[in-house]
Amino acid sequence: MPEVILQNMGFLLAGLRLTLELAIVTALGGTLLGVVAGTLRYLRVPGLSQLSTLYIEFFRGTPLLVVLLITYFAFPALLSYRTTAYQAAMLGFVIFIGAYLAEDIRSGLMSVRRGLIQAGFASGLTRVQVFRFIIFPQAIRRVIPTLFNQYVRLFKFTSVASVIGVHEFTGSALLVNARVFEPLTIILTIAIVYLVICYGISLVGRMLYSHFAVRT
Amino acid sequence: MDYRFSWGPIWDNIDLILYGLGTTIGLSALALVLAVGIGTAVGTAGASRSRSLRALSATYVESMRNVPLLIHMYFWYMALAVVQFPAFTCAVLGLAMYSGAYVAEVVRSGIRSVPNGQMAAALASGLTGLQARLFVVYPQAVKIIAPSFASLCSQLIKDSSLASVIAVAELTYQAGSIEGHTFRTFEVYITISLLYLALVTFVSQTVLFVFGERRRADTRGLADA
Repeated sequence: MPEVILQNMGFLLAGLRLTLELAIVTALGGTLLGVVAGTLRYLRVPGLSQLSTLYIEFFRGTPLLVVLLITYFAFPALLSYRTTAYQAAMLGFVIFIGAYLAEDIRSGLMSVRRGLIQAGFASGLTRVQVFRFIIFPQAIRRVIPTLFNQYVRLFKFTSVASVIGVHEFTGSALLVNARVFEPLTIILTIAIVYLVICYGISLVGRMLYSHFAVRT
Repeated sequence: MDYRFSWGPIWDNIDLILYGLGTTIGLSALALVLAVGIGTAVGTAGASRSRSLRALSATYVESMRNVPLLIHMYFWYMALAVVQFPAFTCAVLGLAMYSGAYVAEVVRSGIRSVPNGQMAAALASGLTGLQARLFVVYPQAVKIIAPSFASLCSQLIKDSSLASVIAVAELTYQAGSIEGHTFRTFEVYITISLLYLALVTFVSQTVLFVFGERRRADTRGLADA
């Protein structure tokens, strides 16, 4: 391993830890938001459904960097509260990835066949039970690959947090580079680390999918 | 909420915003052309019968799309600092290499969804391999992949905002500089969000309109003739 990397290993690992923390927390938060927004849109809850459509369309059409700038600069200015770059990045990632996950989850919900839903009602389940026991479990299993694609995207996107000054993996690598100036080594090293982790996430997605696949 | 809105400063800087929008469009268009070139080549290799070509294609796709776009940009801009490419070129290259991997996957799935018989029939009727691809396989694949291609285009346009990090004066960069001297934070970022939204919607709808399936007029079989 190159000397620059070995000498700054502790610092880089701290950055990687922050990246993982950011990715895991926002993946969970984004999934929760996605399930809520996607379900509201699927169930056509009056008012809330339109609100989630607006949310989904707006944030799917806006670049991530702009979303982060909004959560870091614009929201605090508008609503006059204080925020750190890290909190703003958290909020931004959750809002951003939630919009994509909502659409994926909605398409999963829509893919459940009508006959199954009718059968559920016919056997005396209530609306909530039909959703909870018939629609939702099948939808989630079907969208596992898409969800994991989004998690890979999210993991890559955490690098953008460095732009608003979060010292996650990319940010700390840039700092190391500013000190020692060996850009080629440093950038190739972090590229390889990202590659391995992202590839790992997609492998986990594939394994889960073949394990839980809906057999028809 | 005691924030007082003031849209005047945005209007005063409309020339900067339009200039930025122009750069975003130019950057995205160039990167898109390159990405389609890379993607078609790599995707065709990925759908080929040769195992080594397929492995080569998969290696390109996995190693490009599993690395953050920001790192791609830094690679051309900083890691290759000795070469001193202009920032705009770095942004185009980074965006094209990264998006090319996504285009390749879409192209590969498009080609594979065209039934084998089509290729076989084209070859049997005397077309060369290249002709068969150009006139028989690709035109059918294009229709199938139009929706995914439309979303790739919008992805690419949004991704181009990262070029601001390596100081390419596109829309996001201009927004930052307007924000820096007018302090109209909310107004600036909402304005450019809506501009991105409009651009992305326009481009993806256009792609769907031009390449998408239209009433199946040209797939009528003998029975309708």
